[in-house]
Amino acid sequence: MHIHAQPFWVQKFGNSREEYEDAHWPRRRIDRKASHFRFAVADGATETSFSALWARLLIWAYQRADLPAEDVSHALSGYQKMWSDHVGKKPLPWFAEEKVRQGAFSSILGLSLSETSESTARGDWQSIAVGDSCLCQVRNDSLVASFPLESAAEFNSRPTLLSSNPQVRVEESQIQERKGEWESGDSFFLMTDALACWFLEASVRDERPWEILCGFDGQGEPDAFSEWVQQLRQGGAMKNDDVTLVRITVE
Amino acid sequence: MSYSAEISRVNPSCFLFLIDQSGSMEDPFGGGESTRKKADAVADAINKLLQNLVIKCAKSEGVRDYYQTGVIGYGERVGPAFSGALAGRDMVPISDIASTPARIEERAKKVDDGAGGLAEQKVKFPIWFDAVAKNGTPMCQALTQAKGILSAWIAQHPSSFPPIVINITDGESTDGDPTGVARELTNLATNDGNVLLFNLHCSSRGNAAVEYPSTERELPDEFSQLLYSISSELPSYMRNIAAQEGKNVSEGARGFVFNADLVSVIQFLDIGTRPNNLR
Repeated sequence: MHIHAQPFWVQKFGNSREEYEDAHWPRRRIDRKASHFRFAVADGATETSFSALWARLLIWAYQRADLPAEDVSHALSGYQKMWSDHVGKKPLPWFAEEKVRQGAFSSILGLSLSETSESTARGDWQSIAVGDSCLCQVRNDSLVASFPLESAAEFNSRPTLLSSNPQVRVEESQIQERKGEWESGDSFFLMTDALACWFLEASVRDERPWEILCGFDGQGEPDAFSEWVQQLRQGGAMKNDDVTLVRITVE
Repeated sequence: MSYSAEISRVNPSCFLFLIDQSGSMEDPFGGGESTRKKADAVADAINKLLQNLVIKCAKSEGVRDYYQTGVIGYGERVGPAFSGALAGRDMVPISDIASTPARIEERAKKVDDGAGGLAEQKVKFPIWFDAVAKNGTPMCQALTQAKGILSAWIAQHPSSFPPIVINITDGESTDGDPTGVARELTNLATNDGNVLLFNLHCSSRGNAAVEYPSTERELPDEFSQLLYSISSELPSYMRNIAAQEGKNVSEGARGFVFNADLVSVIQFLDIGTRPNNLR
């Protein structure tokens, strides 16, 4: 299979680029053949500290195939220790200590594409999700799958997320999995919640949001994607939050 | 839509705490065999509220100034009531609150031990406010002073999420009926809604705790009923978050608690994604 994938991201309005707390894989554009590839986005929670680090660790775990849905809690333990070792390196003020005790939280959405037939360019996809980051699959100008949320009404500001605190368990029912098939020409959009919510709302209105997202090339400073997101925020059509998109086309 | 303004560093909101420091706060808290004074319960309540507000705004790099905060004491006198380096200041950015407690005590806290039991953990407990109990309860004067501070604050922040006033008292105003001035206070408004007045009634009565009632029927005395009557209704967005947090808060519920803590109000504020499994 041939993969074209490109990440786009923009931090919450009012924040600096260094305060961006989402994470994504791949980090840069890719355009190449592969028989198997993993993609992911993660959204570190605003109200917890050191969540950008935790989001990056979850992405790393997923792309290393080290986050099996059947045993997430066990798989996380090594990454929780990495997080704890990193944030514990230097003395912290009292409020930061309390935040560390609570732990960082993040969503994770992983997508794995595999080729089953090289001659006909088709294959399988598998996804794992905890939280409200979403993937949408588009085929022949139609939305054919949306996971784990299917409508804008399902979003709120209190999702269940994976924690760097080993005491905070996530129930099995909150770890969701989905499998499907891809065909040559399919597109996948991996999105953190603010963009995913806009995408699903626009889909219901038959506005073909995928056409808009396919129009960005990541060029320019600021790039067209960032400017477009900011326009939607100002018009009240998108929540002011970190926004991340991994756009994938497979052939 | 009211109460929907984003709370951010460029558009901060405001908390003003009013603390009863009257002589009656020497009385025991909560009835029964308790020897704990109401003044100590109030000091713990305000310190815990400030601590939670700071923690809510704390990020990896420090504390973000989502709020400005003031503490007005009322008893022997009416005025700013911070202890330590913040003494005499009325409105303080939350990052200054974080960096300038009067002192930090260590307290024991019961935490989940991960094996179905509880373990005791030492936690830091910052103190900004010490217990005081002297003279009468000039609640009307305190509300009047709050009105003056917030009129000026709103003039500078006309589009902000409206200020929240939290009054912590045993309810027995000695300078008249606070109803009129409380109404004047809650008539102040930013473009996003009216000032919210929430009351925490700290009583010597041993009645069961009451949180966010929507009727005064279950309240035990005239003082709690009066405080209920001057408390603002929780905006619908706060009720929605309360429901997401698993709290049973009905329509018409007011920002009033009796012998309970008001820390949950801070959880009801939306500054971004808060995991529902964060405890």
